[in-house]
Order: sequence, then structure tokens, then C-alpha cells
Amino acid sequence: MPLGWWTRQRHYFLYTVREFTAVPLALWLLWLLVEIKRAGDGPARYSPHGSTAFVVFSVIVLLFSLYHSYTFLTLAGAIIHVKVFDRPVPSTLIDLSQFASWAVASAVVAFVLVWFGR
Amino acid sequence: MKRPAFLHLIYWFAFSTGGVVAAVLIPVHVLVQGILGPLGVVRVVDRHYDTWVSVLGNPIVKLYLLVLIAAPFFHFAHRLRYLLVDLGVPSAKGVPAQAVFYGGAVLITLVTIWVLLTTVPISFG
Repeated sequence: MPLGWWTRQRHYFLYTVREFTAVPLALWLLWLLVEIKRAGDGPARYSPHGSTAFVVFSVIVLLFSLYHSYTFLTLAGAIIHVKVFDRPVPSTLIDLSQFASWAVASAVVAFVLVWFGR
Repeated sequence: MKRPAFLHLIYWFAFSTGGVVAAVLIPVHVLVQGILGPLGVVRVVDRHYDTWVSVLGNPIVKLYLLVLIAAPFFHFAHRLRYLLVDLGVPSAKGVPAQAVFYGGAVLITLVTIWVLLTTVPISFG
């Protein structure tokens, strides 16, 4: 297979981007681990990341993470087949339930992160 | 007789669990801790030493952070290994590559456990 196969069709390119989302997400989680470790430095030396470069990095990671979420959660409609009263549940309904769970989880986590920041 | 594919079961369980955790939980952490907090839009728990340490001592938070950080790495390991195969690195299918990628995810898990247990003592207060 030629090296640049993934640039030749939009579908291949998006597939490769989907698989690549692992890299920025992994880097951001490692940053979070460092942020946790820095709490051990003591109150005088603790200073959380807040530079413009870090915010720009986070914005780029957010775009990749939203793409991962969208592609992963919409997979559910394709792979989950359930029946209710002998009738198959439509895949769009399964997708919607995935996105609703994502919205609820995001709201809860955001509330906790902000509430305990006061 | 066909042998049950236990290793595949473990791989796919780890892959899907990590994928769900990454899909459902990472965007909100990036948005709040990586963008809104540093920009000063909202007060976020990790922007101040006192609030950050007080939540990091909670055992439920420690368990949550372990799942949030470690589980996605098993998903990432699988994706990146097969991305390399697709990009023309067939050796990424082999056992040594599996040891490196999944071993890396195990290593991240162990480091995360170590950081969570040694950084702030567990407190139930």
C-alpha cells in the first residue's frame, strides 16, 4: 500500500484522524497527572498551568476529544442491537441515549470541578 | 476444539472501556481545567492549592482519577498500534509491539496509582 494512502480519500483521512486522536488525548492526560503530582510540591511552590500556550494546546485537544466522542458514541448505534417488545430499537435512539449520557456526565463533572473550586 | 479467545476478550474489554471513559469524560475536563479555568472564566478546583489538595485526598476522587487517566491508555494503545499497521509498519502487529503498547498502558496505570497514593494522603474529611 502506498505511504500516502490516507490522504487520497476524505473517508480515509477522517479514519486516520480518528485513530490519531489518541495522541493529543494521551498528552493531555499526562499533563493532568503532572498537575496532580505538583500538588505534592506544597502551597508555596504550587502554581497550576495557565499560560496562553497551554490554553491553545487545550483548545486543540478539545477539538480532537470532541471528534473522538462523536465517532465513538455514534458507533453504539451500529453495534448495539436490542429489542423491546420484539421490535428492534432504532439506532438513532441508541445514539441519542449515548449523547444524553455524555451530556449528563459532562454537566455533573463540570459542576463538581467548579463547585469545589470555590 | 477451538480455544476461547480470552486474550481478545481482555483486549476488547480494555479497548471499549477506555474508549467510553475517553469519550464521556475527557472533553469536559479539557474544557473546564484546560480552558475555562486558566482563562479565569470560572473558579476551578485545581487552580488553588487548598481546594486541589482537599479533593485529591478523597478516596473516591482518587479512584475516579485512576479510571479517568489509566483506562483511556488501553484504548489509545490499541488504536495507535493499529494506526501504525495501517501506515505501513507491519511489525506493530507482533508480540514485541503488543508488549510495548499494552505494557506502556500498564506502566501508566502503575505510575498513576503511585502518584495518587503518594501525592496527597487519603482523608475522609
